[in-house]
Amino acid sequence: MDLLINLLPHLVNGLALGTLFALIALGFMLIIGVMEVINLAHGSLFALGAYVALVVMTPEGGLSVPFLQGWFGIDVIPRYLAALIVAPLVVAVAGAGLELCLRRTYGKDPLFGLLLTFGAALVIEEAIRVIWGHGEYVLPIPKDIRGGFIYGDLIWSTYRFYAAGFSILMIGLLWLFIEKTPYGAIIKAGAHDSEMVQALGVNLPRLRLIVFGIGTGLAAIAGIIMAPIWGIRPQVGVDAVVPAFVVIVLGGIGSFWGAVLAGLLVGMVVGLTAAFISDWSLLSMYLLLLTVVTFRARGLMGKASVLER
Amino acid sequence: MRFVYDKARNWVTPHMLVAFALFGSLPLWVEGVGLYSYIGVEVLIWAIFALGFNLLLGYTGLPSFGHGAFLGVGGYAFGWFQFHLVPNLWLALVFAILMTALLGGLAALLVSHRRGIYFGLLTLAIGQVFFFVASKWTSLTGGEDGMLNIKRLPADFGIVSFSLQDNISLYIFVFGVFVVTVLVLWRLTHSPFGKVIRAIKQNEMRVGFLGYNVFFYKWAVFTISCAVAGLAGGLFAMAQEGAYVQVMSLQWSGIVVLMTLVGGGMVSFWGAVIGTVVFFLARDLLGTYTETWLLWYGLMFMLLVMFKPEGIAGMWQDLVAARGRRRRVAASRAALAGE
Repeated sequence: MDLLINLLPHLVNGLALGTLFALIALGFMLIIGVMEVINLAHGSLFALGAYVALVVMTPEGGLSVPFLQGWFGIDVIPRYLAALIVAPLVVAVAGAGLELCLRRTYGKDPLFGLLLTFGAALVIEEAIRVIWGHGEYVLPIPKDIRGGFIYGDLIWSTYRFYAAGFSILMIGLLWLFIEKTPYGAIIKAGAHDSEMVQALGVNLPRLRLIVFGIGTGLAAIAGIIMAPIWGIRPQVGVDAVVPAFVVIVLGGIGSFWGAVLAGLLVGMVVGLTAAFISDWSLLSMYLLLLTVVTFRARGLMGKASVLER
Repeated sequence: MRFVYDKARNWVTPHMLVAFALFGSLPLWVEGVGLYSYIGVEVLIWAIFALGFNLLLGYTGLPSFGHGAFLGVGGYAFGWFQFHLVPNLWLALVFAILMTALLGGLAALLVSHRRGIYFGLLTLAIGQVFFFVASKWTSLTGGEDGMLNIKRLPADFGIVSFSLQDNISLYIFVFGVFVVTVLVLWRLTHSPFGKVIRAIKQNEMRVGFLGYNVFFYKWAVFTISCAVAGLAGGLFAMAQEGAYVQVMSLQWSGIVVLMTLVGGGMVSFWGAVIGTVVFFLARDLLGTYTETWLLWYGLMFMLLVMFKPEGIAGMWQDLVAARGRRRRVAASRAALAGE
């Protein structure tokens, strides 16, 4: 019993971390599930989202032009909300550009789509270095979600709870969008049988462009949410894309709840290993993946997909 | 996309002679063109690595995204052997090869049932496991600082022994290893074994129907590819006089895929070598003008994937094919005119 009480904070932290992993993987999952493209640029777009938020919120971001001085002077909350809207839009445009490049690889070996996005990841990361330098930035956040509180002899970080709540909200919204709106129905149908969807008069290229935009926009949102936890660095993209891919493969490609479940599982495992051997906590994620995939080739809830050919 | 195979029965081909002549004479002209001999060492070592890697990507159609791990393991094994056992070049290199073959063979057991993208994703995870272990197991690998002071052991041939301290003699040694590797891999890829792995690339299921043990062939080619990576890793540790964890990271594992693809590894044996040369030349030539050369290299790579995934070797093959067509047309015209 004592052990359980000692473990409780780690379990809670692990669950909170799990929702964050699920949030990071959300856009990745949408793109892989609907378009069967592995977007290795997901992490770089995640980082780009954080940098764009920085530009919106602080003069350090590079936009210290005179007429914006008043904007940077106002309260942090409206600036934060503006960042949460502007950054995903900017990144979605970048993502849409990437989709236009990807069109040449449709119908070929999915390896080429993966390679193209890997090249894009390199390019975006280098571009970030050119524009914002190598240094680390801190994203200001409203003071209501900063700091910590004490509950039952333990100090809890407020931001972690805010971030977990936000992640659950985003997961819920995406689920509602896919399952309960006509757009979601078309997107799902496009993933299932693209030829038939086109025959029914749906503009499939535009649909793919929009899906890619939403997926990369979600990457940007995850980037903003993770920025106060991981910091804003050019190489943060790799730290994001690798867990995203672990979550997706573990959960099973094409499965929404599989990915959410895998995110929680990964978060718990990382959180619990961090309690005992903190240096090795990220390794546990890969060992979990390898163990599960050895016995369940398609992950926890995966379906057959073109990627297996 | 068709892989163009050269005459299979030859041990030595004209392309091979051109490559050997170019690399063999490199110490004579490298400083004349404004480069330095160490870049030759780097190019040849990475070319060995990429040739081994291309057994998987180009020949068997298996994209490995964690291959840098085995380059790293080879370096650590080479260093560990000379520190703790015998400081003998040959034995240390053999140990590096055996260690990577062993670890690669174990990893191959996990991935050989997979194909396509799933194979790539699993190798990525395995590569990350190796990367993590190497960066955290400080007592063995030196962690983030790396394993330092690895010596360039002398090449002892019994009667004579050559010091490899300066870059020129190291280059000549690495060139020797490169020649042997090329000959061995050429034979391997043009043997019955090579035929089977090429068939697996085209249609794995049909190869299974023909009675071949597909799992074994994939396992074997992965293990061999890792062993070659271990050899390259040992040489690289010697060249750098240390083994560092960076080469095991996702970026470097990705960069070897990039190199091989840019050169045209998907359609040619030599693609891997061409790609390595282009990468290091780009690094040094673009690098003198701009710090962001990787940005431009990445953009070039994206364009190549979009418009010519067969890479540079593919462009060359198109050129040769077009010339052959023109010649045939001219010949038939001449024959018609003569009638």
